[in-house]
Amino acid sequence: MAENDIKDAFLEAHFAAARRVDAGMPLALEARMLADAARVQAQQVPVMRPAAESPRRGIAGAAAGLVQHFMRVLGGWPALGGLVAASAAGVWIGVAPPDFLPDPVGLMVQYDTEVNMLDSYELSSVLPEEG
Amino acid sequence: MARIGTISGPKGVRGGPAAPPDGRNQPREGGDASLSDDALVALFANGDEQAARHLTARLAPRTLAVARRVLGDRDEAEDVAQEAMMRLWRMAPDWQPGQAQVSTWLYRVTLNLCLDRKRRGKRVGALRLDDVPDPPDPGRTAPERMQDGARSDALQSALMTLPERQRQAVVLRHIEELSNPEIAGIMEISVEAVESLTARGKRTLAAALAGRREELGYSDG
Repeated sequence: MAENDIKDAFLEAHFAAARRVDAGMPLALEARMLADAARVQAQQVPVMRPAAESPRRGIAGAAAGLVQHFMRVLGGWPALGGLVAASAAGVWIGVAPPDFLPDPVGLMVQYDTEVNMLDSYELSSVLPEEG
Repeated sequence: MARIGTISGPKGVRGGPAAPPDGRNQPREGGDASLSDDALVALFANGDEQAARHLTARLAPRTLAVARRVLGDRDEAEDVAQEAMMRLWRMAPDWQPGQAQVSTWLYRVTLNLCLDRKRRGKRVGALRLDDVPDPPDPGRTAPERMQDGARSDALQSALMTLPERQRQAVVLRHIEELSNPEIAGIMEISVEAVESLTARGKRTLAAALAGRREELGYSDG
């Protein structure tokens, strides 16, 4: 039992020495890690940076935060750009559809066109003359 | 060899003493002690730059220490530690608070990266004494620092003779001071298996170091 205690103390002295030696952190490695973090952060949250650098307060700040949150949910500026482009294309197709597509306005309104055929003819030419 | 799996268990921050006079290596306290690792990861994901500093100060020294002890090579260990932290940064937006401990997740990632390095046949070996940074504790005298360095170096040489799993278990249990259940979660084995690995590892270490007692300053037995 006593021998085991001595062995444990012997080993523990080595473990303790290792812990003391390992406590250091090279500054260059820390700098590399922080540079990695900044790079990843810039890619992940580009829309959050302006708010972090110039925080706004009150209703304006809350609105800005809401807009930023909305932007982030959408996927940031690239996703928003795609959304705007798709919307513009949809509007344009609606206003000026290609020939092979039906007129969307006509499909929605379903208006009728009346043609008065009788106005094209002289009544006298189709009605029998009396007498 | 199976990769290391499930996450469980926290690891407290082992704050070091003040910086050494030469400033080459700085022991770090655990960042903002009022915030949990989960909270810091969430802040990082939301663009908080200070969160990265706190997380690095809190987690990176232990990540580096584990990699160094498992790989036995300082340069390789630095690469692994940097890559492990990179994975933390990338994972941050998807982190689910409360489902696991960030520190334990990082231990798992670190050990897996170490395994990958060994599989790829990267150079590994005993830590050379001149590779080891100066002990950062200014309260210890120069002879004490030298003795720490010698014992740490001798321990590393002995660790490198252990089978991989034994070395991982011993490092996590006796240098990182994690609990057996925590280690079981990280290594995805039972607590009994952890106890067996560490017991066998300690016996081998004791035998390997026994012949160097006087050299390492154990003249009184």
